[in-house]
Amino acid sequence: MNNIYLPYLTTIEDIYEEAPDVRTFRLVFKDEKVRDAFDFKTGQFGLYSAFGAGESTFCIASSPTRKGYIQCTFRKGGRVTGALTDLGVGDTMGFRGPYGNWFPVNEWKGKNIVFIAGGIGLPPVRSVIWNCLDRREDFGEITIVYGAKSVADLVYKNELAQWSQMSDIKLVQTVDPGGETSDWKGKIGFVPTVLEQTAPSPKDAIAITCGPPIMIKFVLQALEKLGFSSEQVYTTLENKMKCGVGKCGRCNVGDIYICKEGPVYTAAEVKRMYNDF
Amino acid sequence: MANKLLKKENLGKLIDTLSGEGSIFVAPRMDARQVVYAPVEKMDEIVFDYIIPINSFKEFLFPQTETVAAFSIHKEGVDLRGVEIEPKETVIFGSRPCDAASVASLRAVFNWDFKDEFYNRREDKAVVMTVACTKADESCFCTTVNLTPDSPNGSDILLKETNDNGYIVEALTDKGKKFVERFNNIFTPQPSAFSLQPIADVKHIVGADVKKIQEWLKDTKNYENPIWAELARKCIGCGACTFACPTCHCFDIVDEGSAFEGERIKNWDACQFEFFTLHTSGHNPRDTQYKRWRNRFMCKFNFYPNKFSSRGCVGCGRCIRVCPVRLDITEVMEEVSNQP
Repeated sequence: MNNIYLPYLTTIEDIYEEAPDVRTFRLVFKDEKVRDAFDFKTGQFGLYSAFGAGESTFCIASSPTRKGYIQCTFRKGGRVTGALTDLGVGDTMGFRGPYGNWFPVNEWKGKNIVFIAGGIGLPPVRSVIWNCLDRREDFGEITIVYGAKSVADLVYKNELAQWSQMSDIKLVQTVDPGGETSDWKGKIGFVPTVLEQTAPSPKDAIAITCGPPIMIKFVLQALEKLGFSSEQVYTTLENKMKCGVGKCGRCNVGDIYICKEGPVYTAAEVKRMYNDF
Repeated sequence: MANKLLKKENLGKLIDTLSGEGSIFVAPRMDARQVVYAPVEKMDEIVFDYIIPINSFKEFLFPQTETVAAFSIHKEGVDLRGVEIEPKETVIFGSRPCDAASVASLRAVFNWDFKDEFYNRREDKAVVMTVACTKADESCFCTTVNLTPDSPNGSDILLKETNDNGYIVEALTDKGKKFVERFNNIFTPQPSAFSLQPIADVKHIVGADVKKIQEWLKDTKNYENPIWAELARKCIGCGACTFACPTCHCFDIVDEGSAFEGERIKNWDACQFEFFTLHTSGHNPRDTQYKRWRNRFMCKFNFYPNKFSSRGCVGCGRCIRVCPVRLDITEVMEEVSNQP
């Protein structure tokens, strides 16, 4: 019987401490056939289980250009993320997916790409970043604007350091006022403000943003000021999910099921939705 | 297939034969002084004089709680076992036409793209034997949602009561025809003369216009209309309407057990509960009761018809009967129909 609720088993191969209570797991499918056959597109998500605690929804934070494993990044908060935090390298986790739609990266060939992320909103964007970096010649200028509440809260610090060394990327890092340390070399200010100062050109450009709802709201306004049309701007929406496959009835925004018709939307599509955020 | 006759006195034989074959016979019966759809083993358990059971029969297709997997956790890892179900044939005798019409709605949700075999296998094995309504109460409103007390939608077999303790039997689907043929000693040829009991007269609620409601809901601006907060003010969020509703399909998936072994279980859930959409971050997209009530109304008159080309509301009236604060969906339908 085909059981759509039955997860694959994975082994936690590696754990990175990203920030206080934020971890990245590198997961490998236990079944070799699944490992070889598994494929996904950037922007898709899955349901991750800690057996005994339940399932939680996160994006796949790694890039589909990196084969053989997937990564997820999550912040400890509820029952499932708490139980996941208790797991260690070598432990078993469940994964169902990949689900949902994806960023149409192939349609962006030749374009300049602007990434704007805040806090724990970087993981879904990071999948797109590596997807673009792994085929760097397909794209024009790449700009990343990333901020968090404080220096400690910045996730993927190793990768931020790596990106800052790359000459063909413009990386702008910022922390909220008061979140800086004495040796902080990045900007101090909220992401939408820093984005306006960075002023990427909307010409032949695509913008991708993810972060807390309030940040997204002001980032969209900032992009509009900079001359981006809402068709040029992509975001990924998240909502609580239990099934991931369009049946449990809770991730809908009005008549749109995020799990099946999302999570990736253009800002133009978001504007047409029922106000159910 | 020509119509048949089923004499009430033959029902006992039908139940005995089916039970002997391992099938389940669900019929209206008494439970705590209420009429419910529940399995029966003897004919005298069946209640024939009823309007509509308090529950819908969706629990026989989509159980209130269902284990989908089991696991044990040990040092070396996790053993995970998916549950396989082989449901028994389940005859639902005495379904009402509204309840039968809801089956297509559940089927649509459980089958768009991803197929839920837990639902499908149960529905495949269910034979819906509907008895057309000869009585209705003040909560019934099937005619307002374009059904009738004798509509055939969703039934495998439709029975209409005669005046002499029998039913005229119309097999509507292949499943229904096979069932009637299988019991040709029980379903006898239709007599040349018979008289049917009159079908219940369910009045169309004049002020409620489903077409108008659907059009009004399509306009995203109306989502912000202050009438939502006004209409849903008395809702206490108990969720009773959702559990009684034959088309409500929402569920939760939870793990239960000890630290070493447990089960993954799909349980009915309700969009009326605050925790239903609450994010771990504390953000809740439907953070007040009227937003949750609006979601349910939208589900019935917008999501189901537009997304699944099926009915969200079959007019059974259960949500009206069970509501502790008398928040009557037909009053909201009228109010929305009156909007400019």
